[in-house]
Amino acid sequence: MIQHILRRALRSLQENLSLNLVATGVIGATVLLSGVYLSAIQTLDRVVESWDRDAHVSAYFQPDIGVEFRFATKDQISARQEVAEVSYVSEQDAADYLTERVPEVDTILDELGPEVLPASLEITLVPSHATPAGIQAFVDSVSGTPFEHIDYGQEWVQRFHTFLTLLRGLGLALGLLISLAAIFLVGNTMHLVAYARRAELETMKLVGATWGFAALPFALEGCVQGLVGGSLGLLGVFALHQVLVAKLEDALALALAGAELSFLGAGWGLALLGASVLLGVCGCLWSVTRFWRKAL
Amino acid sequence: MIRLYHIDKRYGDHQALKDVNLHVAKGEFVYVTGPSGAGKSTLLSLLYGALKPTAGKLLVGGVDASTMPKSRLPFLRRNIGVVFQDFKLIPNRSVADNVGLALEVLGTPRAEIDRRARAVLNVVGLSGKEERMPQDLSGGEQQRVAVARAIVNDPAVLLADEPTGNLDGAMAIEVMEILLSINLRGTTILVATHDGGLMKRFPQRTLRFEAGRLVGGQ
Repeated sequence: MIQHILRRALRSLQENLSLNLVATGVIGATVLLSGVYLSAIQTLDRVVESWDRDAHVSAYFQPDIGVEFRFATKDQISARQEVAEVSYVSEQDAADYLTERVPEVDTILDELGPEVLPASLEITLVPSHATPAGIQAFVDSVSGTPFEHIDYGQEWVQRFHTFLTLLRGLGLALGLLISLAAIFLVGNTMHLVAYARRAELETMKLVGATWGFAALPFALEGCVQGLVGGSLGLLGVFALHQVLVAKLEDALALALAGAELSFLGAGWGLALLGASVLLGVCGCLWSVTRFWRKAL
Repeated sequence: MIRLYHIDKRYGDHQALKDVNLHVAKGEFVYVTGPSGAGKSTLLSLLYGALKPTAGKLLVGGVDASTMPKSRLPFLRRNIGVVFQDFKLIPNRSVADNVGLALEVLGTPRAEIDRRARAVLNVVGLSGKEERMPQDLSGGEQQRVAVARAIVNDPAVLLADEPTGNLDGAMAIEVMEILLSINLRGTTILVATHDGGLMKRFPQRTLRFEAGRLVGGQ
């Protein structure tokens, strides 16, 4: 039986080469699009992760807060479990830091006095709290006296997180649409293959073939289409990744803030390949079943 | 071999068969005749499971085909050979492949399929034409290929729906002679036809249908 199924699948692949190539191409294009989307999402995730890791809070003291109270506050904050590190920056340290980086402001600072820059605490949170929600909770808990202003530079990271969540949702919907379109296209392409073989299907049903016997060669064709199309799609994603890394390495390094441009890992690659095989098999079975039901 | 009890078949408002009762014994050769639309093809379609009766009971080889689930249909058909007026051959398969298909679905080994296909093609007088394509054969030869396919797995029943309808006189006689020789080997045969000349030349029991009713030959 297996021999018959293999023989018929091979024969059909040969006889309907152009239609099979179209179905393979559709699957390949679907995998390529999905792969590029997943790579982009993974890269953006890494960028956000790196930003989160670097997240720190600058808490600026009110000018009338004494040095002793500032250090007492520093000790209190250091003792908190969500805090990894705290350093005190005096007015003079801040002025020195600024002058070191922008020597031109030296004279301005001389005229205004070093106290123009407030003293501050530079707080780094432990990684488990270095999330937009964790930082916000920490800032809320330390806001007010003795601090005049707390800058944590994470508002836009939070917005980016929201944007990324939306992007994921949009990508998922888009991926679903692409997959449905691919199933439809592969199914219809295979329907043409089934149509070309309608006489054989009709006759097989008349002489007592089971649905499984008729459908298995088609499923095998779908499997081959999925494997070839999926592999080509993944190869396309890899080639695109290599080209982007080689040609745009410097520009991307700046844009991605040091995070590397992601290529799908083995897990995702295998998942996409599995999905493409499933797509091919489902498309083929769908078409042959539609035809089988209509036959006498 | 075939028993029908009070069989009705309706297509919407049209009643194709009305209260048909019938018994065909094992090894019989029976003509099913009547004008167009009398219910001949409907009867054959019921027998090979392409249709289900609206009412009544239908037994083929002891199996109740009227209540059979779709999943069991292939197993009924493996015991019934069917020949159609339009041959229903696969155009891009050789004569031997067309005949072998009925064995292929049973999972018969390739060598056995080839051996039996050649043997049965010899029975229908097509030896040496195994590798020809159907479209390279005459109408009579194509019908003989269809007959060979229908009998290659030794079915208990052979149904032929207007098997000579597309053939000229000499070819029709050839096909009928083949069917009679198959019948002599014990196969029960039902031939739907309205060719009075053939029925006169090869007289057999004749079931006559008119407007869905069996009016003669019970």
